[in-house]
Amino acid sequence: MASRGSFRTFGHLGLRARIAATFALGAVVVSLVLITTLLVLVRRNLLNERERQLTDRAEVNVGLVADKVGREGVDAQTVFGSLATIGRPSVLIRDKGSATYVPISLDTRYGAASVPDALVEQVLEERDTALMRYRSNGETLVVVGVPLPEEDGAYFEVNQLRDIERSIDGLRIPVALAATLATVSGAVFGWTASRRVLKPLGEMANVATDISEGRFDARLPYSEWADDPDLAPLVSSFNNMVGALQDRIDRDARFASDVSHELRSPLTTFNASIEVLRNARDEMPERAQLALDLLSSDMARFTQLVEDLLEISRFDAGAVRLEIDPVPLVETIRMVVRALSATPIPVEADSTLEQAIVYCDKRRVVRIIANYVDNARKYADGATRILVERAPADPGDDDSAEPTPDSARIIVEDEGPGVPELEQDRIFDRFNRGTLGGSRGSDLGVGLGLALAAEHARLQGGRVWVEPRTDGVTGARFILELPLIDPPPGQEPDAEDHPTPLDEVVTATGQHDVIQVDRPAHEARADSSDSGDADSAGADTAEGGARAGSGGSGDRAGSP
Amino acid sequence: MSPVGTRILSVEDDERIRTAVKLALEDEGWQVDEATNGEDAINAFGRAPTDVVLIDIMLPGIDGFEVCRQIRRQSDVPIIMVTARADTHDVVAGLEAGADDYLTKPFAPKELSARIRALLRRARSTEPGVSRLRFGELEIVPDEGLVTSNGEQAHLTKTEFRLLVELASSPGRVFSREALLERVWGHGYFGDGRLVDVHVRRLRTKVEVDPAHPRHVVTVRGLGYKLQP
Repeated sequence: MASRGSFRTFGHLGLRARIAATFALGAVVVSLVLITTLLVLVRRNLLNERERQLTDRAEVNVGLVADKVGREGVDAQTVFGSLATIGRPSVLIRDKGSATYVPISLDTRYGAASVPDALVEQVLEERDTALMRYRSNGETLVVVGVPLPEEDGAYFEVNQLRDIERSIDGLRIPVALAATLATVSGAVFGWTASRRVLKPLGEMANVATDISEGRFDARLPYSEWADDPDLAPLVSSFNNMVGALQDRIDRDARFASDVSHELRSPLTTFNASIEVLRNARDEMPERAQLALDLLSSDMARFTQLVEDLLEISRFDAGAVRLEIDPVPLVETIRMVVRALSATPIPVEADSTLEQAIVYCDKRRVVRIIANYVDNARKYADGATRILVERAPADPGDDDSAEPTPDSARIIVEDEGPGVPELEQDRIFDRFNRGTLGGSRGSDLGVGLGLALAAEHARLQGGRVWVEPRTDGVTGARFILELPLIDPPPGQEPDAEDHPTPLDEVVTATGQHDVIQVDRPAHEARADSSDSGDADSAGADTAEGGARAGSGGSGDRAGSP
Repeated sequence: MSPVGTRILSVEDDERIRTAVKLALEDEGWQVDEATNGEDAINAFGRAPTDVVLIDIMLPGIDGFEVCRQIRRQSDVPIIMVTARADTHDVVAGLEAGADDYLTKPFAPKELSARIRALLRRARSTEPGVSRLRFGELEIVPDEGLVTSNGEQAHLTKTEFRLLVELASSPGRVFSREALLERVWGHGYFGDGRLVDVHVRRLRTKVEVDPAHPRHVVTVRGLGYKLQP
């Protein structure tokens, strides 16, 4: 699970980013439409107003000018000076007969060329005031034409609208700023608004993670959302679902526990009674002895079956607790083998693992090894060798995969018929004895052992599999791979005494070994299950100077 | 084989189990007294000298933990808890209540008698001739079962005493929990390290001046325990 543990607010555009982007997009579109409409309307209004003014003015000016035009002795400047103008229009008077223009304004930039022919035609033909607006050389000109009644000519004013253009232009920067601001605030608004929407989702994800990790009392805080008519039902139905789930799991676990008790009591009586009978076996007739042997061997099988069933029902009920402790791996394996097998089985360990303390659930590891050794005895005349090897870390295929730690492999080898390739996965299924199952005598397991081994291994991050022997001999290699993990969080003990290079260790296999200093740091870590003790390292001052640099974390120099 | 006249008090409410276990233990040559509930058990314990007590945790009325605590208050007799649940909680609670060992039902009677025998063993004398071991303020007299700290006698249970003597047999040497399980409790490969941890904790409260900062019974990280001279 890649996103386990934390709700993803950012990913390849997470939901929240998408909401914010949508808000921003909405804001920019709305602001652009509003602003554009506004600008167009303002411009049009300004222009219309101006055109109306210009037209009125032109008509007034014509009245003033008409009688002076063409008269001798009246110079253009005088005429122009008498006109009321807005801005500085260029005035032209067109004489119809000669079709020439008489400029009477001072700004000569707008000569006859500035008056469109279409306008001239319209004014002269229709003898009516007309107006035309057009753009030329980047500026907008408004030309007003008024026919001169007596002269049969026309009067034109060429006006620039630079002031209006400037006002409109001047609006562009504030408008652009406003649009940007709208976009940004849209995004911000979307981001914040979505937080409230998504918060319950994020918390839900966290709670779901908690639940999947076995903390069934995890709930969403309903009171926080109680006032929200949209979210309250979601939160409460989520909590109800978790509650129902918890009830159900509790019920299952209770059932498993009750069944466990109910089955264990009679089995205890059976086992004790059979023991009493076996103590008196010699006094029994031969037939009764035979019956007793059958009874006691099947009782052992039945007891094992019940234990396995109870174990597996605990797995199914999710009522499983790992007990991760520091375990001297090789020593433990040697003890298991010695206890289980009448004939000694050599245990060959990698030198770096010989003394290794491995953090694992000892009971489960022992069950797996015991099961392997037991299987070898049943199907392959006993295990021939047990190897403990170090498997290199798997670097992981892609970046997302967490690097796996080094692992230890415990390999139980036999010289039996081996396991057919087709069966190699299936024998780890429940109640599957493999094709070998039926063909061997009566002393068979029921087929839960390997399934349990797989569960036990998986639970602590390890795995199990079987492969054929690679050295040419027929036979099988049953393998348990355990990650060489650091002590689980919270189990890092208070600072205690470090192993010293010269510490002699008394192990249960009777050896008095001397610790090797070069053990990898994570193997030299502390005694975890003792974490309830408030020990402190200081007690051992005598050897303080000779402490091994085992690099263990949590190394608090203690007080005396 | 076993000490003559060894008396075991078996506290179990299930009559069939009680009877079968009694028969099996009698086959080992031990004398078995029975109690069906907590009150009976405490009364029976007061009446006759008892060498080992076997207590089922699930008892009607006063439960096994309480019986264990009450017996422990008046005696250092070895106590074995019997539980139907391998629940870790039960196990630790039983040990905290003062039990020396525990068994999970259904147990093999051979396993039970092996445990009883281990608990009945006397603490081993370290070396013949050495009758007194002294580590600072801590003094151990193995043959007399006596431990004093600063001259005051510490009241250890038999198992705590054996654990201490075992550690004291090689001062400064680290004992793995597995080794201690085998030597003190007679457990096989399946021993439960918590047994050692709980006993070490109890031992410290009795022999250490400051149990939170033990000077003598010291944890060696990842390896086990040792007795620091």
